[in-house]
This record gives sequence, C-alpha cells and structure tokens, in this order.
Amino acid sequence: MKLNFFTLSVALRHLRYGVGQSLLTIGVIAISVLLIIYLRTVIGGTQIRIVDSVTGSIPHIVLEPAERTPIGAWQLPDPTGRTLYIGETVNLPRAQDKIDDWRQWLPALERDPEVTVVSPVVSGNVFMFRGARRESVRMSGVIAERHDRIVNIEEKLVEGRFLQMTTGEVALGATLAAEFGIRMRDKLRLLGPEGRSLSVTVAGIYETGSGALDDGQIFLTLRDGQSLLELGSAVSSVGLRVRDLYQAEAIAESMTTRLPFKIRSWIADNPNVFRTLDAQDQTINMVLISTIIAAGFGIASILVMSVTGKYREIGILKAMGATPGEIQTIFVVEGFLLAVLGCMVGIPVGIGLLEALSTVRVPGPGGRMTELFVIQIDPWLLLGASAVAVTVGVIAAFFPARRAGSVDPMQVIRGS
Amino acid sequence: MADTPVIELRGVGKTYYNGDIATPVLFDMSFEVGRGEFVAIVGGSGSGKTTLLNLMGLLDRPSMGEILVDGRNAGTLDEPGRASVRRDRLGFIFQFHYLLPEFTVIENALMPCRMKGRRFQEEQEPRMRALLEKVGLGEKLDSRPAQLSGGQQQRVAVVRSLANDPALVLADEPTGNLDTRSGRVVFDLMRSLSRESGTTFVMVTHDDNFALEADRLIRIRDGRIE
Ligand SMILES: Nc1ncnc2c1ncn2[C@@H]1O[C@H](COP(=O)(O)OP(=O)(O)OP(=O)(O)O)[C@@H](O)[C@H]1O
Ligand SMILES: [Mg+2]
Repeated sequence: MKLNFFTLSVALRHLRYGVGQSLLTIGVIAISVLLIIYLRTVIGGTQIRIVDSVTGSIPHIVLEPAERTPIGAWQLPDPTGRTLYIGETVNLPRAQDKIDDWRQWLPALERDPEVTVVSPVVSGNVFMFRGARRESVRMSGVIAERHDRIVNIEEKLVEGRFLQMTTGEVALGATLAAEFGIRMRDKLRLLGPEGRSLSVTVAGIYETGSGALDDGQIFLTLRDGQSLLELGSAVSSVGLRVRDLYQAEAIAESMTTRLPFKIRSWIADNPNVFRTLDAQDQTINMVLISTIIAAGFGIASILVMSVTGKYREIGILKAMGATPGEIQTIFVVEGFLLAVLGCMVGIPVGIGLLEALSTVRVPGPGGRMTELFVIQIDPWLLLGASAVAVTVGVIAAFFPARRAGSVDPMQVIRGS
Repeated sequence: MADTPVIELRGVGKTYYNGDIATPVLFDMSFEVGRGEFVAIVGGSGSGKTTLLNLMGLLDRPSMGEILVDGRNAGTLDEPGRASVRRDRLGFIFQFHYLLPEFTVIENALMPCRMKGRRFQEEQEPRMRALLEKVGLGEKLDSRPAQLSGGQQQRVAVVRSLANDPALVLADEPTGNLDTRSGRVVFDLMRSLSRESGTTFVMVTHDDNFALEADRLIRIRDGRIE
C-alpha cells in the first residue's frame, strides 16, 4: 500500500468522475449494510420478545431444597422398636420440602454482583373458599417489594395495591376474581394442606396477560404463606434475577458448587426456547452471509469493469513511473472509500427504518398499546456491519487492483 | 557529468520469446545520445523502432548488452529502481496521447509531477501553465481532454512529457496519428522546446521531412543500424 498524494487524489478523481459506477457500488454496499442492521435488529427484537415472554415473570434462577439422597432401610430411624420385615410399610413423619436456613445465605446472594433480585418464596397449593364455592389455587407467600421485581405485579394492577400489601391481605388475578365474582375488600377463606385456615381480604387485582398468573394464582405476604403451610420461618424456594439472563445457566452452575441447594436456571428449564433462538440466529446469519458474498461479487465486478476500462491510463501512468504498488493502492483505496460511503448511506437509512418501525403500536394484553417490535439498536452491530462492509469492499477491490498493478505499459503502448 | 551521454547503448539485442518461438528483433545496437540532441529514428514497419524505444525508456529489458542512463547501468536496477528513473529522468510521448479523461488539461500536463508529491506539483504549475499557453492552449487549461482536437491533445501530451524536467524525452511516432498540419505543429513544438530547454529528444517517425530536420538520424533496417 502506497498512500500518498498521487494515489489518493487519483482514486478520489476516479470516484468523482465515474459517478454512475460509484453510486451503483455505494448502493450495493448501503443495501447490504442496511440489511445487516435491519434484519439483525428486528430478529434481535423478536428474540428479546420471546425471551421476555418466557422470563418476564419468572426468576432466572431458583434455589430449592437439596434433593435428599435415598437411604437404605437399615439407616431408617427405628419407628417401632422391633424388627422390620420385607413388604411391611412404615409411616415415617413426612419431611417437608423447605429451606430453613435461608436467612443465613441471603447476604451472600445479595452481595453477588451478577444477582439483581433475591426473593424468598413460600409456595404451595391451597383451597380458596368463597361462599359455597371451593377452588384449588397456587399460593405464593412473598416479600412484595422483592418479588415484584420478578413478576411486575404492581405495574399490572387493575385495582388496589401489591407492594404495600400487609398481613391478612391477598392479591389475585383478574380472571380468577371475575370467575368468583370477587371484588376489592372482599373476604376469602384459605385452607392449607396441613389443615390450617386463614381469612384474608382482597387488596389487589391484577391482569398480566399470562393465564397462569391471572387465573390460578394468589399472592400473600411471606408470613401468611408460612403460617398457612405451617413452615415456621422456612421458605420453599429462593428466586433470583441476574443481570445478564443469558448467563443464568453459567451462574447457576457456579452457585451449585458453593451453595447447598438444588439450583435451576430458566435456560435449563426451557431448552426449546434456546434451540429456537439458535436456529433463528443461524438462518438469519446464512441470509446475511449470502447477501454479503453477493454484494462482494457485485462490487468486484463493478471494479473489474472500471479497471478494464482504464488499461490505457494505467499503462501510461506506469510508463511515467508509477509503481505497481501505487496503481494497486489507487483501486484498493477506491474500494475502501466506496465501502465507507456505502456505510454512511446504509447506516442512517437503516436506523431511520428501524425508528419508523419502532413507532408501530398494536393493542397488547389488557388493551394497552404496545410496540409491535422491540427495537434496540446496538452500536456494536453498527460498528460490526461497517467493519464487514469495509472489509468486503477492500477485498473485492483487491483482485482488480492487483490486475491493474500488473498492467504492462508496453502492451498498452503497442495498442493491443 | 556534462559530457556523459544522456543515454548509451552497448551491444544491445532483443529477442522476443513466445513459448518455444524466439523472434529476434534487434541486433548489436550501439550508439549514444548527447545532451540536448534531437535524434530521429526511422525505419520500415516492423524494423524494431518501438522495441528500441521501449528498451531506451526502461519499459523493457534487453536480451543482450547494456543501456546506461546518465552513465548508470539500467540493467542493475530492479523494477522500482527503473520506475524511479522513468519518473525522474524520462519523458514519454506516444502515438496516442493517453491523457487521463478524469483530469483537466493542466492536471494532465502535471501528472508526472503529481507522482512526485503535492509540493512538487504546485512548484511546477506556473511553468506548465506557461508552456501550455505557449503551445496555444491557454484557453483550454481547465477543459477535459475529450473537449480537445487530436492535435491539441497531442500538444498536451508533449507538454506533459516535459513536466518532470526530464533528461530525455522518448517519442514514438508522436505525429503518426495526426493530419499533416497538426503533425507539423506538434513537431515544430517539440523541436523548439528541445532548443529552448536543452532537453534531449529521441523521436521515431515515418515522416522523412521531420527526420531530415533532426540533429541526427538513425536508420534501422531489420533490427540493425544502417
Ligand atoms: N511481444 C512480441 N513478441 C514477439 N514479437 C514481437 C513482439 N513485439 C514486437 N514483435 C515483433 O518485433 C518486430 C518489431 O516490432 P516493433 O513494434 O518494434 O516495430 P516498429 O519498427 O515499431 O514497427 P511500426 O513502424 O509498424 O511501429 C515486429 O516484427 C514485431 O512483430
Ligand atoms: Mg512502432
């Protein structure tokens, strides 16, 4: 490469003089850049949507009681004080699935820089009574301020409150409420599996758009949940949200070695989601790679034409003392500049299109207007697309440039 | 330095090889051209004139013998070295003008200077403007080559060959593509520029009138000097 006044000024003049060819090349590059940015962002947006709909109201990581390892009959505590025979059934007190020492682990979890939310939860199925009707529902006893950062109930309240919920209060979904004809401040009776009953007042009704939450789910305070299930001060699980939800599995794995819990991530729980996203990524990348290759050949053929049309000039320049390196540089610089100009057109147009797309709104759950596409323009994507375009431009220019560099002035002069 | 020949050929021969076929074209040529001389080379078609000029212009390498430019043996130079001799010491005029269509008349005339950097180009610009005015192209400085007649284009090419203030200008049938009148204008121009600037010219021509007006005449027949 010989970047100097001569090579740069001749390259620039070629571009300026051959406006038609230049614009054509710039157009090809701009369209490729635009496609890269546009498709990646839109697909990225739908992927965010998909991941969001899966993880939107669940913990990224759940800590549960460690699984008890099976023990041999000879290890059983002696329930009867006599010999046991094969085939005999023994009734042992049922050990509950619970975490007793969760408070001890809380500070360590909260200190973890990857972890953004730590929410201890008591959960189990309970009966809900309303007049003569009885229904089995899933009950979660939570610390509302913590748990709201996982499920986002407060934002989706139709009536009442969630964050300020106190002892003796319940929040439930709009579908369930409608089914039972429940309204705010109504009283309900709950019955736990151990026979414990609790009377609660409806303090909040929400609508999330998710059937599981809106229909069969109620929320109590952690304390009420504990007493309904007779768990004492224990909890059933601890839910976590992490900074980067794609790292959830890795974080869960590293926690497994440090914490005495059974630890699951949302990724392990939803392998299909990941496979789908991966397949989508690969498809779109194939499309983009073919686009880029096609663009590369397009640019190369335009530049080959341009070089072929300039054989005589190249010959005379070489006779006058231009080196092969200088001639080569002229055409590589042209490829580079065309690519840069292509990016300067393609990127703003791409951003403009995406911005226009991001204003498209459709009615979402609960009648609220939401964006049809999640558009998050990643500056790295812009940079990456530009890098790809410039690389392709330079490579496409390189071969015709090398041919230009090796033009034999004698042949030109002899007029062949 | 003053008495070193601008260019000297010692026993130069040239044979073209195309696969197995060898075509000997030039045989044992020895001559020198002194500073400020105006030399005409004549000979029949296919006698080897263009071949000889290409060798003298370091565009091609002889199969035998040596060529010395300013006393320096060009055979010892690598390609970049030869390119730099062409850039600094030689000027070229061809049968076709080969002006660059993207550049104006003055820019084309300055092209050899452009290769030597912006500063040099700017320094040479007044001189080249004056030269172009002198050859009657004062009005056309900022025109494109395509807007000029053939004779005018060739006059630009003649001026361009002087841009790097060369020791030697090599001209291969510079009037070959022009009508008699324009050819005359271009030839007279070369002749007078040669006299005024003291630049050495070696010109291949088919026109006997021009040949007879040269300081010296070299006749070639079948690759040998007659
Ligand atoms: N690359 C080559 N390979 C083989 N033979 C060649 C090559 N170039 C030229 N020749 C031959 O060399 C001989 C001399 O060619 P050259 O072009 O030097 O002649 P010339 O005197 O300039 O002729 P003209 O007056 O027609 O321009 C011719 O017979 C030509 O066919
Ligand atoms: Mg010839």
